[in-house]
Amino acid sequence: MHPFLLALTFISPTGPWKAVLDLAGGPLRFALTVEQKGGTWQGTLCNGTQCQELSAVRVAGDSIVFDIAAYAATIAAVVKGDSLIGEYHNVGRRGPRTIPFRAAKGRWPAEKSPTNLTGRWDAQFLTDFDASPRVIELRNGKAGLEGTIISNTGDYGLFWGHAQADSFSISHFDGSYVYMLTGQIKADTLRGIFHAGLRTQTRFIAVRSTGAPHLKSPSEITTADTAPFRFSFPDLEGRQITEADPRLRDKVVVIDVFGTWCPTCHDAAPALVQLYNDYHDRGLEIVGLAYEVSGDSATDNHQVRLYRDTYHIPFILLRAGTNDTEAAAATLPQLTNFTAFPTTIFLDRTGRVRRIHAGFYGPALPQQHATLVKEMRKEVEELLSEK
Amino acid sequence: MKAVDLVRSVRVLSLTLLVFGVRAPLPAQDDLVAERSAFALWLANAPDSPLAALAQQAIGAGLTLGPADADVPLKNSAPMTVREEGRSVTLIQQGTRTLLTRDRLTAIGPYQLRPTGPSGRSVLTVFGPDHRTLIPTYYPSDARFIVTGSLAKPASRVTHRILMLDGVETEAIEAGVLTAALESGPSKLKVYRISDEDSGESELVIYFQDLTNGKGSYPAGRFVTLIPRDETSYLLDFNRSRNPFCAYSSAYACPAPWPGNRLSMEIKAGEKY
Repeated sequence: MHPFLLALTFISPTGPWKAVLDLAGGPLRFALTVEQKGGTWQGTLCNGTQCQELSAVRVAGDSIVFDIAAYAATIAAVVKGDSLIGEYHNVGRRGPRTIPFRAAKGRWPAEKSPTNLTGRWDAQFLTDFDASPRVIELRNGKAGLEGTIISNTGDYGLFWGHAQADSFSISHFDGSYVYMLTGQIKADTLRGIFHAGLRTQTRFIAVRSTGAPHLKSPSEITTADTAPFRFSFPDLEGRQITEADPRLRDKVVVIDVFGTWCPTCHDAAPALVQLYNDYHDRGLEIVGLAYEVSGDSATDNHQVRLYRDTYHIPFILLRAGTNDTEAAAATLPQLTNFTAFPTTIFLDRTGRVRRIHAGFYGPALPQQHATLVKEMRKEVEELLSEK
Repeated sequence: MKAVDLVRSVRVLSLTLLVFGVRAPLPAQDDLVAERSAFALWLANAPDSPLAALAQQAIGAGLTLGPADADVPLKNSAPMTVREEGRSVTLIQQGTRTLLTRDRLTAIGPYQLRPTGPSGRSVLTVFGPDHRTLIPTYYPSDARFIVTGSLAKPASRVTHRILMLDGVETEAIEAGVLTAALESGPSKLKVYRISDEDSGESELVIYFQDLTNGKGSYPAGRFVTLIPRDETSYLLDFNRSRNPFCAYSSAYACPAPWPGNRLSMEIKAGEKY
């Protein structure tokens, strides 16, 4: 067919699409699905089994635009034959960020990976002058190769991808974070590149985990002084609440330092609600300290209320400040080396800090998630048994 | 709707090339065309476009905005003061205090304010409701200005505070010296790495001067970022050179040229002035 006629032929965008972002270091795969419901276009973006609804899909002639409102990002493309060709955009302070995008009709195959790749790997990420530890987990899941990357303070979310012989590629694209891990196994050593955005490439080298701890324990990162833990922040109704609040007197208190903008905090919320429901009768209180985006009390309170209602949070939530790590650290001066959202602080009945856990392991890490929840329960039980 | 317009403009351009039978003598540069279209749209429309910038000033001991004798005079605006207190930035307006979130826009009447930069030395950028008209222009793409080079690392880690192309002080790590085989002979260029902790992304940035400065390109020099090619080499594509924001608005501070990064040839590629 003549190219002009081909371009003018209308192809319905309905159905599944094998989508790709073309990074400098190779293609990052993800899946898009488009459907029309009651005259409205809708879409989902998936990394393997993990999917999110797109806020809007706009179709005009042979142009299609996918909106990812949470991150003020869009994918804009034109239908060319049975392909979509376009770009992914989001906006930074120094201008727009553009990554080439393409898609073909169909579904990515779910392929089992060779078992010499799966398992837990102790990695070093090598930047100009530093090496920093990460753990890479690879496993076969429903949609093919799955995995995640864990740092000292948490995980990078669920990655999904594929393997061929001794090489693999897994990625995580949620509309804002653009991450891809590619590598190859050679004689028991895994080498490769961690790609962030269009052009950032960080080399890594990894060996199979021996079981010895490779990362700093999350309970050894942030520390506190020995004085009773003090705070004073407004609740969602504007009342100033401090550690001396009668509800907290002689109680075991868990402080959850979080933000509604933080995906890992959303992962932690159900676990904290469960903890509260199981131990509140025996003397546990939880106080969530929200560090929000806008700094405007009405906007931030609204966000926190949405979060509270989504997870049916029965415990105290306070608006503590904005999500700048430095600014947050300044509001909790008793902590040293505050680095992660969420950070969970365990106080005994005298109000002293007994344990601080930086970060949280989400459901992308089923095993660590289960272990962490078990440890948190154990810690609470021990503190409750102290009189 | 803007994104759709963008796709259209890209298509019109590629169609034009097809009609006139012009074939770019280059590896696929579709992404460069898309990048430039997106940038032109952002300049024309974004609330924080340099074309809407009214002022960018250090907050220092307190910055006054509003009346004619204020640090930043603003039409039809009540007197305001912006202060840096500890690690946060606060706007005081008729006795009311508003926290300005770092790196984000806060709307105050028809104006948008954004504090950026390191705590203790923050700068405030003020944007107005109107955009000046300016469409960036570029030299025709030229394959002779795409070169590969390797990066010789410095002996130890050296960190500097440099002005990035938006006039904001940024922490930069010396990534090394790139040797590129240009027509005028092998040239050495200093490269800095600028990292964004939140996204995990970083850029290898070069701010360079050449013999076109003031004679077709921006006098102070231009910025270009390296594209990784393989483990040891990088692509330096001067067609992707960009002007600092001071080329679009006198509100911005202009980064001082990096010593040693002056090329003794004309780089007739990238953004013009």
